Amino acid sequence: MFMRAYQDMVFSTAARMTGNDAQAEDIAQEVFTKAYENFGDLRASAGAGGWLKTVATNLTINHLTRHRRRWRLFSEFAPAEGAPESPLLDPPMPDTLAADLDAEQRRELIDDALRRLPDHQRLPLVLYHFEDFSYEEIAARLGISLAKVKTDIRRARAALAPILATCGLVRDALEA
Amino acid sequence: MNVPQKSPDEFETRVSGALRGLPPRRAPRSLENRVIAELERRAGLPWWRRSIAHWPGLAQAGFVVLCAGSVRLAWLAGIWAGAGFETLSRSGSSSIARVYDIATALNAAGEVLRLLAGVIPPIWIVGGIAFASILYAALFGLCAALYRTLYLNA
Repeated sequence: MFMRAYQDMVFSTAARMTGNDAQAEDIAQEVFTKAYENFGDLRASAGAGGWLKTVATNLTINHLTRHRRRWRLFSEFAPAEGAPESPLLDPPMPDTLAADLDAEQRRELIDDALRRLPDHQRLPLVLYHFEDFSYEEIAARLGISLAKVKTDIRRARAALAPILATCGLVRDALEA
Repeated sequence: MNVPQKSPDEFETRVSGALRGLPPRRAPRSLENRVIAELERRAGLPWWRRSIAHWPGLAQAGFVVLCAGSVRLAWLAGIWAGAGFETLSRSGSSSIARVYDIATALNAAGEVLRLLAGVIPPIWIVGGIAFASILYAALFGLCAALYRTLYLNA
């Protein structure tokens, strides 16, 4: 019962950060085994959801940074002048108008777009917009510069903008 | 592509609202079974294969004593080795004698380097370090360029 109440939230947190369902399932499994070890405290706690979300976030960050530390320095290099700021996402769009999309279809479209973002853009974006991290906290957790965090999030937002507009979520903000 | 032309703050707020309003993703049905199977597997492990926090109190205390004893033994072994090395090398043990010879050779090499450092003009040393640094930077730049070209843009 406890697990059913929180499994979607834990899985979502890991899946949106990793962009990979198999890895997210592994992380969610680890989160719930840790929760089992602390079940005595969590069962009666009103903060169980927050605890699970924090553990899921920390485990995912650890998972993502563990194997990529060696490439961090290289990925800090700025793109060459004139290079596009972000990859243009071109996800498959349903043949319907934004108004016809229900919440689940919108979620699928946006999650698909998130999955297509490169890791170094998706992770800061998700931490900022979904997990309420500040720019400074993201820079400290990922061990990258504040400027890179801001740049990556800005580029990720720009890449997501067409999808969000298609979903009718930020149409006004995209008016030229 | 249409990029936001209005205020960046307004765009950020709208994106934030849109993303936070998304419903959570549904966890796969297999997750619950996987967690239960993992918990059963862990419960089936003998105590010495679990985290030390789950060991019996006596075993935890014994482990701490064992660690402290090992540290003490290592310390004493270091002292004994230092004192008895020379004696052992003279007693005819070939492997010990070889280690002793290597240590003596390294010591002699260090002495030679120290002497050379006093003879070679400092400008040569600085020039050598600068040359090595330039080579290192060039190699690093080449690797970074190759990484960006072949990996990031792949």
